[in-house]
Amino acid sequence: MNERKGSVFDGIAADNPVLSGLMVISPVIICGDTIKNAQALIWAFSVITFLSVLISSFVPKELPYTLRVMTCALISSTIYVPVRAAAEEVYPDAIARIGIYFPLLAVNSLIVFQSETRFFRMGRLRMTASLFFYILGFDLVMLITAVIRELLAYGTINSRIADVDVLISGLGEPFGGFIFLGLMCGLYRKLRISLKSSRSAEKGDMNVSGK
Amino acid sequence: MLKKAKKERLIWLDIMITLLSLELMAYFYYGMRAVASACTCMAVSFAAEFISLRLMGKKFTADDLTCISDALIISLMLPVSIDLRIAGYTCLFAVVVTKNVFGGRRNMIFAPAAAAYVFALTSWSREVLMYPEPHTKLGLFEKPDVLVHSASHAFNITGKLRYTDLEILMGNFSGPAGSASVLLLLISALMLIFRGDISAGAFLGSLLGTGLTAYLSPVGYSRVDSLGYSVVTNMVLFASVYIIADRRIAPRRNIFAFYYGFLIAVTAYILTLTTAKENPIIAAAVLFTPAALAIRSLERKIDSELEAEKKKELEKAPADGEEAELHE
Amino acid sequence: MYLVNDIIAFLAANLILSQALGTSSLFIAAQSRKNLTGIAFCIMLFTTFGTGCAYIVDSVLPFGASEFRLLLYTAAVSVFYILLLVLLYFARPGDYAQLRKYVHLSAFNCAVMGTLFTMSGKAEEDSSLMSFGEYVRFGFEAGLGFIAAALILTAAYRRLNSSKVPQSFRGGPAMLIYIGIISMAVWSLK
Repeated sequence: MNERKGSVFDGIAADNPVLSGLMVISPVIICGDTIKNAQALIWAFSVITFLSVLISSFVPKELPYTLRVMTCALISSTIYVPVRAAAEEVYPDAIARIGIYFPLLAVNSLIVFQSETRFFRMGRLRMTASLFFYILGFDLVMLITAVIRELLAYGTINSRIADVDVLISGLGEPFGGFIFLGLMCGLYRKLRISLKSSRSAEKGDMNVSGK
Repeated sequence: MLKKAKKERLIWLDIMITLLSLELMAYFYYGMRAVASACTCMAVSFAAEFISLRLMGKKFTADDLTCISDALIISLMLPVSIDLRIAGYTCLFAVVVTKNVFGGRRNMIFAPAAAAYVFALTSWSREVLMYPEPHTKLGLFEKPDVLVHSASHAFNITGKLRYTDLEILMGNFSGPAGSASVLLLLISALMLIFRGDISAGAFLGSLLGTGLTAYLSPVGYSRVDSLGYSVVTNMVLFASVYIIADRRIAPRRNIFAFYYGFLIAVTAYILTLTTAKENPIIAAAVLFTPAALAIRSLERKIDSELEAEKKKELEKAPADGEEAELHE
Repeated sequence: MYLVNDIIAFLAANLILSQALGTSSLFIAAQSRKNLTGIAFCIMLFTTFGTGCAYIVDSVLPFGASEFRLLLYTAAVSVFYILLLVLLYFARPGDYAQLRKYVHLSAFNCAVMGTLFTMSGKAEEDSSLMSFGEYVRFGFEAGLGFIAAALILTAAYRRLNSSKVPQSFRGGPAMLIYIGIISMAVWSLK
């Protein structure tokens, strides 16, 4: 029971799409420098990915792989049309700032390629729950990255001036995004490794006491 | 193995001696502030190295003191007036991001000081490229009232320097704390080359590359002035000794190292000439890191092939000997 | 003399170093020479052909219908995707199984779609770029840029994945930081 629950929540921590799978990293690197950008991207990614994967799950599995991938890409590109129109109403400024990364969200690897191996093998209800947490995992990483980078690079939090002594403007640039994301991935893995080892140590202790 | 470790430590000691002499010169020109900057860099680097090694589950040994020489190189490349926190962040970046993340001194990919300087340049370009005039004696935490552009900046734009040759030789012109002392740098370079502490090929390649391009396509009107000034400005001499000729990064064979240094210098000079950018040699050195890595792996391949050939010959030799005996 | 400036400009305009497009494919391409050749060649084909199609889409798409651009680009890339697979199937039946994975990996890639959108944006800003030749040239250059970035990563690939790198940073994180530092050097020189 525990294992099954854990696998549904995998997307948040254990198998985070950005930190573990290194998927959809370009928007995080380039646009994850302010909270405003992050909000718009989170909204777009969540809606497009959720609807696209959900609808794509109805594509017959009997179709050849190439056709399935193509259909997934075409479905997400179609969903992009109303999402884009809605985003222009909700986040009119952010659309211009995000630029090409908005449409690129619609053809991200989580929708086009990974949905085959990650989601379509599950039952629909379980898939929906798992997909929700994968999206949440991306959203969390995007938000954390944006908060830290905006604070350190521009000295603001959601455009409000914060008290930061030395600004590291390089963190707001693409190279800063690469380096920051690399460090975050490393720390995430370190945490995972140490959690795993402490768990296995606990199990070992229990086995010994059980004996 | 023990001999190699001993040699590494001796190299570090030699480099430290030359860096400390440059630091002394910086103290002579700028006072206690130069010492404060160097001490901050060394303390932050030491702490960062110690903590990150612990986190990696490794022990801190005497060999890990190379972080101190990298810290001194950084402090000598920065202006003495730099905010000490910026100096600290730069050293933290050098130790953690450019070195220990890749496995530390046993798996060096970038020259830590070079990559960290580029990081400082991209994040705090104003603070990094404005300098106090020489002989502006500053207290430990004192900041100068007036900051000026470096002599390199003036040279890149006008092709001229308003200093006498003696002043240039002694490093008596505005610029980074310790990388302007030309005479001392030349002596240090000679000493390090003769002791085998730096790559002679890379050093000569870098100087020749700058000199040749500066002569063929001068910054100002005079070819001779362009040749002389191009070598002493934009940290060319300093980078040639401590960054390009760094044995941890440069190709091992002198001939390859020569071309490596030559290409970096030519690239940097052309960038200076066409864009008037200050100190492009450091960023060029970072940019040529993949080339250095590729050359090093090529060298390894050549070495292993040579070794295999030697083995074959050795195996053949006794067999031939036996045959000869049989003939007799 | 200006070759150095051109090289720096080429690196500065590199879609991976400056826009992080196609980073995940880059990691796969850098694994081996075989992968590098296969993926780089496929991506170059897709960017070149894709920009040609993008030109046609951009010139027929009415003003104010930009949200349909993605759908049309995806359709164009899909057509080429199938054509390429069919061509490979008949031209190299022996290697088809091996080669098709490179085609799959390159088709709906951020590097490919990003190239189409970047060129489209450039042409919107500067009308002199609105020609078939300019589009295709940009697509070809973007493909070359991918090869350059892949070569830069290949040079360090073994070291970035060596056992000397801490386990938590080995592979992906180290590669991200490595590319970040190279990108930083390019950024400081541009």
